[in-house]
Amino acid sequence: MDFKPTIVSFLCNWCSYTGADLAGTSRMKYAPNIRIIRVMCSGRIEPTFILKAFREGADGVLICGCHPGDCHYHEGNYKCLRRFHLIQKYIQQMGINKDRLRLDWVSASEGKQFAELADEMTETIKELGPCEVKNTMEKLDKIC
Amino acid sequence: MEEKRIGVYVCWCGNNIALMVDVEAVSEEMKKLPNVVIAKNYKYMCSDPGQDLIINDIKEHNLNRIVVAACSPRIHELTFRKALENAGLNPYMFEMANIREQVSWVHTNREEATRKAKSLVVGAINKVSFHEPLDKRSVDIDPATLIIGGGISGISAALLIADSGNKVYLVEKTGKLGGHTANVDLTFPYLYSAQQMIDFKIKRLINHPNIELFLDTQIEEIFGYVGNFETTLKINTAEKVELKFGNIIVATGLKTFDPSGIEEYGYGKLPDVITSSEFEKMLLHGKVQTKEGKVPKNVVIIHCVGSRNKNYHEYCSRTCCMTALKYSNQLRSALPHSNIFQVYADMRAFGKGCEEFYTQSSRKDIMFLMFDQQNELPKIREAGKKDNCNLIVEINEKLSGEPIEVPADLVILMTSMEAHEEAKNIAHAVGISMCGNDFYIEKHPKLDPVATTTDGVYIVGTCQGPKDIPDSISQAEAAAARILAIILQGSVHVEVTTAFVNEEVCCGCQTCICVCPYTAISFDEEKNVSVVNEILCKGCGTCGSACPTGAIRCRHFTDKQILSQIEGLMSITLEEV
Repeated sequence: MDFKPTIVSFLCNWCSYTGADLAGTSRMKYAPNIRIIRVMCSGRIEPTFILKAFREGADGVLICGCHPGDCHYHEGNYKCLRRFHLIQKYIQQMGINKDRLRLDWVSASEGKQFAELADEMTETIKELGPCEVKNTMEKLDKIC
Repeated sequence: MEEKRIGVYVCWCGNNIALMVDVEAVSEEMKKLPNVVIAKNYKYMCSDPGQDLIINDIKEHNLNRIVVAACSPRIHELTFRKALENAGLNPYMFEMANIREQVSWVHTNREEATRKAKSLVVGAINKVSFHEPLDKRSVDIDPATLIIGGGISGISAALLIADSGNKVYLVEKTGKLGGHTANVDLTFPYLYSAQQMIDFKIKRLINHPNIELFLDTQIEEIFGYVGNFETTLKINTAEKVELKFGNIIVATGLKTFDPSGIEEYGYGKLPDVITSSEFEKMLLHGKVQTKEGKVPKNVVIIHCVGSRNKNYHEYCSRTCCMTALKYSNQLRSALPHSNIFQVYADMRAFGKGCEEFYTQSSRKDIMFLMFDQQNELPKIREAGKKDNCNLIVEINEKLSGEPIEVPADLVILMTSMEAHEEAKNIAHAVGISMCGNDFYIEKHPKLDPVATTTDGVYIVGTCQGPKDIPDSISQAEAAAARILAIILQGSVHVEVTTAFVNEEVCCGCQTCICVCPYTAISFDEEKNVSVVNEILCKGCGTCGSACPTGAIRCRHFTDKQILSQIEGLMSITLEEV
């Protein structure tokens, strides 16, 4: 059976979520593996959200925010960027390939870019195969 | 704790959702979940019967939380929140799952789309389980308005607001009113006098009992929030004036591009190469002449100077093509026997009366020559002794494909509009953002073009982007109308999904204070905890994710709500399809 990854995606309300909506209204087709969670700003995205997604079995996590300089809240996306670099290092220490976590900028007018990003991310994750964190954690739970 | 009773409603959106998603299967599946009392699907949830369905079920089944799976919450979240309110429920006990824009419109396999829709709805149910009722808050509005900039935009807005009987403070950096409009002779496409238009407005403004004018004055810092702003103006270094106002209009205008950096044009070195602003001055003085005081026989007008070129500005300045045509008309009347050349990249004649103006002007014995704006700008050099002119303009003419040398005695550069050099300081003072070109960003580029993301701050005229006089006035009067509507209401609702500090958990590290973009968090030295000013807070949640102890709770996007939503999303995968 084909591997069908699940990707949890956090989008900021003002740019990226609106961009994803535009992909919809423009009827652009993309892979069904992305599941979107709306937050007001990419600055709201906590490391725990990302870890939780992997813990629950996500094979990838995609974060999207406004382009640098365009943040609705001035600079939330910069804060998100700084955290992203740290979390990417951290997940590698947990044995999660860094490419399973991606940050990209999608503006409200970039529906096409969002659809392409969703497809690209799905391809990347398909190549990497399933993320084993959930299974490992469950095994550990049993042992402990 | 009150028992959770959730109602789930799956919308067909006619065929928009129902064709790609098995709505029946989705609602059936949701019935199995704990706390879900009712799960239904219906043709159009946003219609009156659809909303009544929710309202009646809330009353009949004592529901206290609602999920609607339909279009994007950006479209109908407010509609359904209203419905909850009508049924006596707090409007925030609601969550939407976006199964149209994010599912039915973008996917092609019905089985996969249905599974994805189910997972999104479970996520929404999980999230709404942890929603809390939030109360609407409102603040009173100070009816005075501060307008920054005394150009045509600022003046137009000031007059409209002041005429309604409300106070206006107009602050102008220079000692003169009228901005760039005051430096223009005639306007396109109808050739009305700009002077007459602006003089009339300025006279009215100066004598208006409701307008207080501050010339030679700059804004430094503004404190407060919508309805209750304040600032201190420094006039002549000694005098200080304290002002309080409820709304702000930013009308700081533009700066014209300095073409001395474009080597090809030799501006600053060749005395008879002048900018459009300098030519406008000649027209105002009624004398078109070369530096030596001679009447020019050949006049070349070069378009797009600093515009539409990746080395300078990529955007179009919108007004230069028509201004250039206006010059041809004025030149043709003033110098009937001169040769006039329009050296253009593209002729952009959009807007009322402009295409007609182009057709009319082109019949006045004017030569149009096209150049390649991206790859090969025309070159201006001094003419030789044998040439019967001052300058030679070399053009690789695009339509004929021929290199052409045009004689010139006077060359007018149609310089672009740029953001003001102080745009950044003003943006900082009032708390608004700038785009890559330093023009201010509106709240929504199509649906909310004069408001900004800071409540109570509006942007009008060329500080928002290049535009002509009627567009500037339209924006100014639109912003004035928006402000008058708020003044009439007397109070305004402010964001309720704000951050909140749990004082028992806060360790006083003040990390949140460093990350807040609105200086909405202060420190209570006595209690050693952070305190959120909920009127300044815009609810971005950045403090919540920075807080190391979890003391900050971001209302409506709490950790619990989002973590639970993640669990819900992951409860149904595509694997089994």
